[in-house]
Amino acid sequence: MTSLDGTTAPAPAGAAALGRRLSRRRAGVGGTAARRRTAWAGWLFALPALIMYAVFELYPVLSAIQYSFYDWDGIGVATPAGLANYARVFTEPQLVASILHSFILIAFFSLLPVTLGLVVASITREIRSQFAGGVARTLMFLPQIIPGAASAIAWTWMYSPDGAVNQLLSAIGLDAFRKTWLGDFTWALPAVGIIGTWLATGLCTLLLLAGIGKIDATIYEAAQIDGANRIQQFFAITLPGLRSEIGVCITITVIAALASFDVVFMSTQGGPGYSTTVPGVQVYQLAFTENRVGQSSALAVVLSALVLAIILPLQRLFRER
Amino acid sequence: MSRQLSVRSARALIAIGALTSAVALSSCGAPGSSSAPASSAVTPTAVSTQVPTEPVTLTLYDGQGLKNLDDALIAAFTAKYPTITVDPTYDPDNVTTQNQPRQLAAQTPPDLVRVISVSSGVKNNLLSPLDAYEKAYGWDKLPASQLSQFRAENGVAGSGSLYAKPTGFTMTGLYYDKANATRIGMTEPPASVEELTTLMGKAKAAGLVPMVVHNKEGGGVFPFQLLLNSMLGPDKVAAWVFNAPGATINTPEAVKAAQQVADWNKVGYFPEGVNGLDANGADALFASGKAVFFPWGNWDAANIDKTLPGKSGFIPMPPATAGGQLGAMSDAATAFGIPAKAENKDAAALFLNFLSSDEARQIAVDNGFMPSGTDDQAAPSIPAGSVKNDVVSAFAQVSAAGGQTPFVQNATAGIGNQAWNPETQLLLGGKSTPEQYVQNVQAKYERELGR
Repeated sequence: MTSLDGTTAPAPAGAAALGRRLSRRRAGVGGTAARRRTAWAGWLFALPALIMYAVFELYPVLSAIQYSFYDWDGIGVATPAGLANYARVFTEPQLVASILHSFILIAFFSLLPVTLGLVVASITREIRSQFAGGVARTLMFLPQIIPGAASAIAWTWMYSPDGAVNQLLSAIGLDAFRKTWLGDFTWALPAVGIIGTWLATGLCTLLLLAGIGKIDATIYEAAQIDGANRIQQFFAITLPGLRSEIGVCITITVIAALASFDVVFMSTQGGPGYSTTVPGVQVYQLAFTENRVGQSSALAVVLSALVLAIILPLQRLFRER
Repeated sequence: MSRQLSVRSARALIAIGALTSAVALSSCGAPGSSSAPASSAVTPTAVSTQVPTEPVTLTLYDGQGLKNLDDALIAAFTAKYPTITVDPTYDPDNVTTQNQPRQLAAQTPPDLVRVISVSSGVKNNLLSPLDAYEKAYGWDKLPASQLSQFRAENGVAGSGSLYAKPTGFTMTGLYYDKANATRIGMTEPPASVEELTTLMGKAKAAGLVPMVVHNKEGGGVFPFQLLLNSMLGPDKVAAWVFNAPGATINTPEAVKAAQQVADWNKVGYFPEGVNGLDANGADALFASGKAVFFPWGNWDAANIDKTLPGKSGFIPMPPATAGGQLGAMSDAATAFGIPAKAENKDAAALFLNFLSSDEARQIAVDNGFMPSGTDDQAAPSIPAGSVKNDVVSAFAQVSAAGGQTPFVQNATAGIGNQAWNPETQLLLGGKSTPEQYVQNVQAKYERELGR
């Protein structure tokens, strides 16, 4: 080990060095070599996590990439397929449609919850009573602690021909709008989307509330004195102040929309027809029902690339200046 | 976030990239190249029909829905052969299709495994051929139609070596509400599809739901295939399901069957919102006494005995024309096979042999399935007033007519979820024509089989 900057001598090995390094550190002086050794010690501490990451994240991802270039039933010997699996992702109409559906779901999983979250958070901010505020926050967050699969089943009942949604429509005299929501070619996808909205709104509200709490209350006071009304305050103070929180909300929910699985799988399985198929469900069915592991991996890789391609520019957009 | 951070993340990306190529290089071989055993290693030659004298533990794998049947069979089997214990594992039914190949390919597979697709089990030499046991135990005396589904040759099911033996059979047809049937003037089962259509017209006029079809999970395939069995003929349907070379359902007969189903739906013989109705909802509708016919299977008989005790009957789907071919989907409740790598093959075969014994037949019928066995065996007893009596006699009628067919949803692993269910939803939703329906399913079939 030699120092590169030439100002410090190579550190002697052994316990003495450790003692010296500690004392030097305490003194607030760090030599390059010592610092480098600290860096290595840091890697050592990270090693267990790195191993877990390599075994349970990197290795599966790399295997999936490898599988995507083969035709494989998961058991027998695979045959190389070149880029055929990728070509099919973009030419099989059902696979293309599933990708389009996941983009439509962004409106329900992401845009609606963030908008609703902003409205609810700004209103909740005004609740003076601590008790009422707490109750409101808890109620809003409740959907977040229910597993997506369970809420999808509950919503399936509500959407059924005699379910809560249709009963409600009848109760307010809108009998003409009654339908079998999840069995309707036009309405199934929005109906599934609403489940996502319900799931994500609580999380967004809570994140945005936390963000609002960080905004200096005196700014609102000053604006009030200057005669700004609530709406003007919202656009001039709240919205710019929540830039990074909105970024987080959008990121999490867009990923949830593009990679959605549980809600769709439990409520419609992609039906009626192919009207609610999404890539997540297709990946599952290709791999585990059809035993087309290669095709499934190719779709999964495309899906991951797609998520990254959308999330990275969003990250840039919401970066705090 | 700062510029520094993005430089750092760029470095991290490069590092991950380097690691990626390293791992990729080290795992270069084609996936799965080390798992399949050679075919010579799996064929049992020296078989024994001796009851083991030393204690043997058999492991068994099946779907949760068949737990009651299997547990009863295991109890009777182990009582008869005390040296053998059976240790069962059950998975939820909807994942057994996916897990079957994985169970078979395991390093130490169960001794008895539910075989859903014989052709996929045979493909990688994962199942033991049972011909030696068949000869030793005399299973060849069973009616050919009972075992042909479990034979395969050169990857095509339907004939050849035997790979599995059933615990009992399913049966499909039409349940009917007796009171409502009387109300619309049905004194005897309709003799043709035309007569059935006339009866449903009367039911509609009487304000009843003529036929409880539920298509949220693809139950709409049932009326279609019940018609197809008669119109196309059981042999052609079976050949298609068994992936016989050149098999197709893109035929005028299949279009006619699809047209009939679409027509029934169009004139309102199916429940409103048929594409959103699931099996539970259909059960509730039939139990409500507002419906007449219900195309479904034996697995619901115990339930219908509870919801409409003594008030329901069961008939085979009438043939396309009076006196024509009768048909019904009827496959194994569970067909058990012995994995190539199983440890206790002889004891497992003893269990397979037990499945067609008088005791096992009674257990099958008690659990609502049709028994496997020969005609000269004692007929199992069924309590009077149970709809199961009708189901068993319908099964006898269809068997006698040679009309047993496998389910079209089992033709390939993915065809149910990826073609039949969505395509039937499109058909009943008025979004596709009968011609497109059979074309699309056939196209999917050929794509999955790589034809």
